[in-house]
Amino acid sequence: MGYDNHIVEAVRDTLVQAGSTFRDDQKRAYRRAIEFEVNDTARWTLETILENAEIAERNRSPLCDDTGIPHLLLEVGPNRAVTGEMLDAIDEGVRQGLRMLPGRPMAILGEGVERLDQHLGMDEDPGALEPAPIQIRKIDEDVLRLHVLMFGGGPALRGKTLRIFHKHNTQNVTDELVAWATENTGLLGCTPCVLAIGIGRSQYEATSMMLQAMVDGTFDVQSELEQEITNRVNAVGVGASSLGGNTTVLSTFVKIGPQRASGYRVVCMRPCCCFEPRLASVELSAKA
Amino acid sequence: MIKIQTPISKEVAESLQVGDRILLSGKIFCGRDAVLPKICQLVEEGRLGEYGIDLEGGVIFHTAVSIAGVGPTSSNKPEIEGSFETLSKAGIRMHLGKGAISQDTIDMLEKNSAVFAIIPPVTALLGENTDSQKCVAFPELGMEAFYEIEVRDYPAVIGAAHGKSIY
Repeated sequence: MGYDNHIVEAVRDTLVQAGSTFRDDQKRAYRRAIEFEVNDTARWTLETILENAEIAERNRSPLCDDTGIPHLLLEVGPNRAVTGEMLDAIDEGVRQGLRMLPGRPMAILGEGVERLDQHLGMDEDPGALEPAPIQIRKIDEDVLRLHVLMFGGGPALRGKTLRIFHKHNTQNVTDELVAWATENTGLLGCTPCVLAIGIGRSQYEATSMMLQAMVDGTFDVQSELEQEITNRVNAVGVGASSLGGNTTVLSTFVKIGPQRASGYRVVCMRPCCCFEPRLASVELSAKA
Repeated sequence: MIKIQTPISKEVAESLQVGDRILLSGKIFCGRDAVLPKICQLVEEGRLGEYGIDLEGGVIFHTAVSIAGVGPTSSNKPEIEGSFETLSKAGIRMHLGKGAISQDTIDMLEKNSAVFAIIPPVTALLGENTDSQKCVAFPELGMEAFYEIEVRDYPAVIGAAHGKSIY
């Protein structure tokens, strides 16, 4: 099959960047955390994580040995078209990127129920790992932009998607989120964490919002709600690598979508590990 | 920073205190959920020698070993923490991973002159400080097989020793 090589190479390189590179605002967040950390051991952990990021970026090598499951968000401008061939080229770019990073070979062999207990083992090809279903959203800018995120297993294990009864007071939602985050950052191990939170009308929409929060969020600018959640979870003192101190959460990214006329909100919270969001973005241009 | 070279003597292990930061060098073993129960079974059956494995003074790093590198998994998973006692009695002086372990395990470590150390999940840094790797048992488990790797200056902090925990 002939793929559009412009797209394949762009996606391949973007995936490698996502798996190996801290964003500039992420580095700034770590430097701020190191400056203000009061616990010596936790500060040493933060410094070691930042040093790891510098080495990974220099070597274009994985930040973490759990290189993650590719998750893709495709943004489509007003006059841009997405074709099936283009989606095939994106998939091929993901395959090549996983081989180049290299990703951990962790595609479970078999079909359907055979996959549940892993009894057939794993494919040795890192490129055999399928990305999660692609998410598409419209944007005003007239470009086609792909965001590649690599989702590790720890945050998936500690994440939660459930309804929260708001009782017509936002504070009830905030309090419940802080309780979830406090419990799960304590179990995560690979802190400091970024809390990615999506709120929608269904489990599907809330999870979509969570992914968009990871793309749209920035470490440099926090809303009042995001800052409150970060501050309250940090006050508990789990700290980096659960070693104590005041840096359990580096930032909180919240995306609130449309809401249902009802007494509950469906909330998805992913307590991202110390390397996440592993995110890189690229504008795609199809061949003429 | 305290420099530690494997094999680790009982005296060195007993000198380590919670919160000590170390740089670990030498040959260490790697294994996690899938393989550690099998290694414990070999210990109990007295068959480790068949694989040329000597655990005396050794370190077990709770990690997979793949082309993506190494990095700690949670040590408090039942099949991993459940291996601590058998392996400590067989000579392991340091269990290297992450996450809080139970007080029973911490007390057991003290009785067997062993410690638990926490290593940050810094795969790129560890990759630069890893000189060699070889599979020493159960290759059919792929990245979850039992590996021996040779390392320089792996950074870690003592998380449990002498009945105390950093958590």
